[in-house]
Amino acid sequence: MSQLSNSNPFIGPSGKKPTCMEMLQFILDNDASEEQKAYFKQHMDSCMPCFKSYELDMSIRQLIKSKCCGGEAPEDLVDKIREQITQKLS
Amino acid sequence: MTEETQDAPRQHYTDKEKDDVFNNEFLPHINSMYNFGYRLTLDRDDAKDLVQDTYLKAYRFIESFQKGTNAKAWLFRILKNSFINDYRKKSKEPNKVDYQEVEAFYNSDEVDRQITPDLRVESLKDMIGDEISNALNALDVDFRTVIILCDLEGFKYEEMAKILDIPIGTVRSRLHRARQLLKEKLSDYAKSMGYKNADV
Ligand SMILES: [Zn+2]
Repeated sequence: MSQLSNSNPFIGPSGKKPTCMEMLQFILDNDASEEQKAYFKQHMDSCMPCFKSYELDMSIRQLIKSKCCGGEAPEDLVDKIREQITQKLS
Repeated sequence: MTEETQDAPRQHYTDKEKDDVFNNEFLPHINSMYNFGYRLTLDRDDAKDLVQDTYLKAYRFIESFQKGTNAKAWLFRILKNSFINDYRKKSKEPNKVDYQEVEAFYNSDEVDRQITPDLRVESLKDMIGDEISNALNALDVDFRTVIILCDLEGFKYEEMAKILDIPIGTVRSRLHRARQLLKEKLSDYAKSMGYKNADV
């Protein structure tokens, strides 16, 4: 365990050990390195709260991706933009 | 527009190069841009106007865009600025989040205490309609914005900081708070759909 925490890639220059919550946030925020992702994955195996939070947050993200992407822009939008560009800038 | 143009040296494009950049680097993001516009204004017509306006500005200032850099982040930034400068001024949407409070929250020990609302993965599976979309739209615009940028568009801290003109620390705390608020909303939906308070 001590070996694991020594090699914790989340520890920054300050040497402060991150909390579970902080690690999870880096992961969720698309700001973790591959090394950090791998470390966190391993960490979740032995940390139920992290596993549960991660699972919940990822499910919410999936839901957002499938339900909040808004679909396609209106068909005439690109035409209108092109039209305006020719009008105003030529 | 000075903000968009200040850091990059001006490029010199021929008309054909301009069209290439516009068609190949700008237009492919139209769906994401439209959705972003919609999530900001919550109105489809306003979203259309905002996107049109953004693309016109992008074309007009195309020489301050460097080929091969992140066109999507650049466009998102212009759209966000148009929203604040042109749209929000006209609208009456009250919008002030107490960021000092947010920062204080983030920097306190409270963060570690994980006051997660009682929301279960299982109850999300029943949200097959507009629940998530409504929950997101019910958040304050600054909170829904970071969720869209991060969860849907996959931007990183640095990119979000540039798009929103805020420090990375503020991006982090805003995201953290936004997730918490979204969970609270979803938890309310789950309860109203008949889920009893479950152990988390
Ligand atoms: Zn943990």
